[in-house]
Amino acid sequence: MTERPVYIGGAGIVSPLGFGLAATEKMLRENHSAIRPMGLFSLLQGTPLPVGQVDNLEESSGLPRTHLLARAAAREAMTGCGHPPDAIIIGTTTGGIFTTEQLLRSEESSKELYCNHGLNSVVTSLARELDCTGPALTVSTACSSGAVALCLALRMLRRGEVRSVLAGGVDSLCRLTYFGFHSLQLVDGGGCRPLDRHRRGMAVAEGAGLLFLTTVKPEKQLGLLLGAGLSCDAYHPAAPHPDGQGAFKSMQDGLADAGLSPADISYINLHGTGTPDNDLAESLALHKLFTNLPPLSSIKGASGHSLAAAGGIEAVVSTIILSRGLMPANTGLREVDPELELVPLAEPLESPVRAVLSNSFGFGGNNGSLVIGTDDIFSSSAHCRPGPGLTIHGYSCLTGAGATVDSVTRMLGGRSAAGRAGLDTISENLPPRLIRRLKRLPRMTLSLAAAALENSQFSPDSLKPDSVFMGTGWGALSETYDFLTRLADTQEQFPSPTDFVGSVHNGPASQVAIMFEATGPNITTSGGDYSFEQALLAAELMVDESAEPALIIGADEGHEIFSPLLDPSVESGDTIADGGAAFCAGRKSRNSGCSISIPCYISSSGDDAVAALINSLGGINSLHNSCALVLAGIPAAGSGAGEKQLQRFMAQAELSVPVIHYRRLTGEFASASAVAAALAVSFFEGGVIPGDITGQSKITLKSREDKILVLGFGHYLTAMEFYRL
Amino acid sequence: MSELIVSELIEELKVKLIDILNLQDVSPEDFDENGQLVGGELGIDSIDVLEMVVMVEKDYGIVINNQEVGEKVFYSLANLADYIKENSPGSPS
Repeated sequence: MTERPVYIGGAGIVSPLGFGLAATEKMLRENHSAIRPMGLFSLLQGTPLPVGQVDNLEESSGLPRTHLLARAAAREAMTGCGHPPDAIIIGTTTGGIFTTEQLLRSEESSKELYCNHGLNSVVTSLARELDCTGPALTVSTACSSGAVALCLALRMLRRGEVRSVLAGGVDSLCRLTYFGFHSLQLVDGGGCRPLDRHRRGMAVAEGAGLLFLTTVKPEKQLGLLLGAGLSCDAYHPAAPHPDGQGAFKSMQDGLADAGLSPADISYINLHGTGTPDNDLAESLALHKLFTNLPPLSSIKGASGHSLAAAGGIEAVVSTIILSRGLMPANTGLREVDPELELVPLAEPLESPVRAVLSNSFGFGGNNGSLVIGTDDIFSSSAHCRPGPGLTIHGYSCLTGAGATVDSVTRMLGGRSAAGRAGLDTISENLPPRLIRRLKRLPRMTLSLAAAALENSQFSPDSLKPDSVFMGTGWGALSETYDFLTRLADTQEQFPSPTDFVGSVHNGPASQVAIMFEATGPNITTSGGDYSFEQALLAAELMVDESAEPALIIGADEGHEIFSPLLDPSVESGDTIADGGAAFCAGRKSRNSGCSISIPCYISSSGDDAVAALINSLGGINSLHNSCALVLAGIPAAGSGAGEKQLQRFMAQAELSVPVIHYRRLTGEFASASAVAAALAVSFFEGGVIPGDITGQSKITLKSREDKILVLGFGHYLTAMEFYRL
Repeated sequence: MSELIVSELIEELKVKLIDILNLQDVSPEDFDENGQLVGGELGIDSIDVLEMVVMVEKDYGIVINNQEVGEKVFYSLANLADYIKENSPGSPS
């Protein structure tokens, strides 16, 4: 089968360097830094630190700043496309937090005002504006988010189910990141000087960079996304591996994925944040991979570090480098740090460029490297294209009823397990020193991961998970709340470094990587009520036939104040519920109880969405012959519309099998579908669906054809299938 | 302000560190005041150092914003106590 090239059909960029490709190119040619003292919000004390701020952003529509940045970049990237993208994948860490910070300060308690807080709301607003009814996914892997989003888009396009994807990253300035990085002493008060002998840190910035990627050769193309590599340091929640091991692996895997060798690379766009540790680790990785280094530079001395947007922005800059033959200078550099043994570009260099390697590394040791090049360098070699379906080798779950056995037993009896397990339960069997700084969500995640591995047929010693995929609707609410509270309580004087590090959405998954030394791809998705489904989708795209096992996790914490304020399905006065589930998954059928796949993820607003859902499950006849049970997820906030969608599905598919509304058992939380997935696996494990849970007679799962469906309704229609091998 | 006595200060700091760093399985007797504080047996790392920087500023009014100074000050509990004593507002310079 011939490999499909993935073309860059359009690009959009908003950054401190300016609006659009032309303005960005001009700034890069002039080698000017856009870093200035922060002026976006006033400070209670001290002078503003230098940042990369986007000026003149139109703020009239009531949308948060991140959403507006994304919209501006999307409009440019989609210019002249004529049709919506088949899918959108956005990397972001801030979502609507800047707006939320202001609302919290003015003690607003009306939850409608917080409707754009979630990371997921950025991509949802873009999908609405662009009329995209396909998958709309959110990746949150700290400062590698944009690159990871582009990597997933590349995989999705190669698989052939979609023909175009709009992907990249976006983040806005906010108090959380401004004070957070300052509390870590990672901000250079004198600006930002990557690779400089006297560098003292980064400049926090904002912006958006998006690529319109397509497998249909466009009339005018800006280059090709040739390959992408992801890795995890599995070393520390905030500091890079001192030898740059993860950086080396992501660059190596990116080149292999592109079918290129180091000598094929014409220019390297460094992550180069300007922190002493990052630049040193990155240089060590470069020397290990390259015998002769090509021209290289970091643009962050000009643009600052726009966090999740950086990977997207620098991918867009890579298309400028490629199409204009313009390699930007390492702006801000005065004296190269001799320890790095690098020769960064002191001035912009004009020379033909065939392939660019672009690095993005983030908290949690989360690394992504992209290879962008011209079409004459495209190699249709050996990309493997993993198919749908992963085998499940072990599982665990957690609800208010407790750990796996207690939760499953309660729910099999048809009784509600809604609530929050105690701190002892979620910390059981976890080393005290490992978790001393961890609050609720990372503890839940680690205990789920450990229990799923223990439940698998392998001992934890012989089974080392390679990759981790985590879905969480709201991330670490306790850390975020505590950070903002202490910031306000101390008049902005003593923000907590520990809470800042813990507040990133990918914190829990990176803790799992550290605990189990999982150095492969480590992806956190945040898709509201479909977060676990997005993690499963990412796992299907990333887990190769040859790969070691993966951990797929869905978890959310219930927070007394934030959950009723932020989650549309939780009302104040409700019993707060939380929990999640974890699965040890792979591609090998040995020692596996059943398989899981996700054949459907579409917007419910599209034409005939229910018919498309039925079609994705093999059609009416196939459903009729195989479907034994439907576990239906209808979030409380959309119960009217969701119930109608469910009824339409059952009627159109002519199904009369039992339906379990699983949120009645789990309680309302974003990743409740992960617990439903654990229930489905437990049914195959026992071979029986007990009558108590369905209110009908018990069902014996005898036939090899038997399938259990976990369906999601509401704004999106999703289907997860569970079946024997 | 009464003059700080280093030995008392060290005892005070032990309790504070257990609290702010949530060293659940550590008791004050487990600290070796001359032993390596960061990267030693207690598992104290760079993030903990930053929390200690905040504590020193908040509770003793002393700002440490220089990495080289920080490395010396947080080398051991004894160093930290000496530094606080020397730099306390009101102490003879």
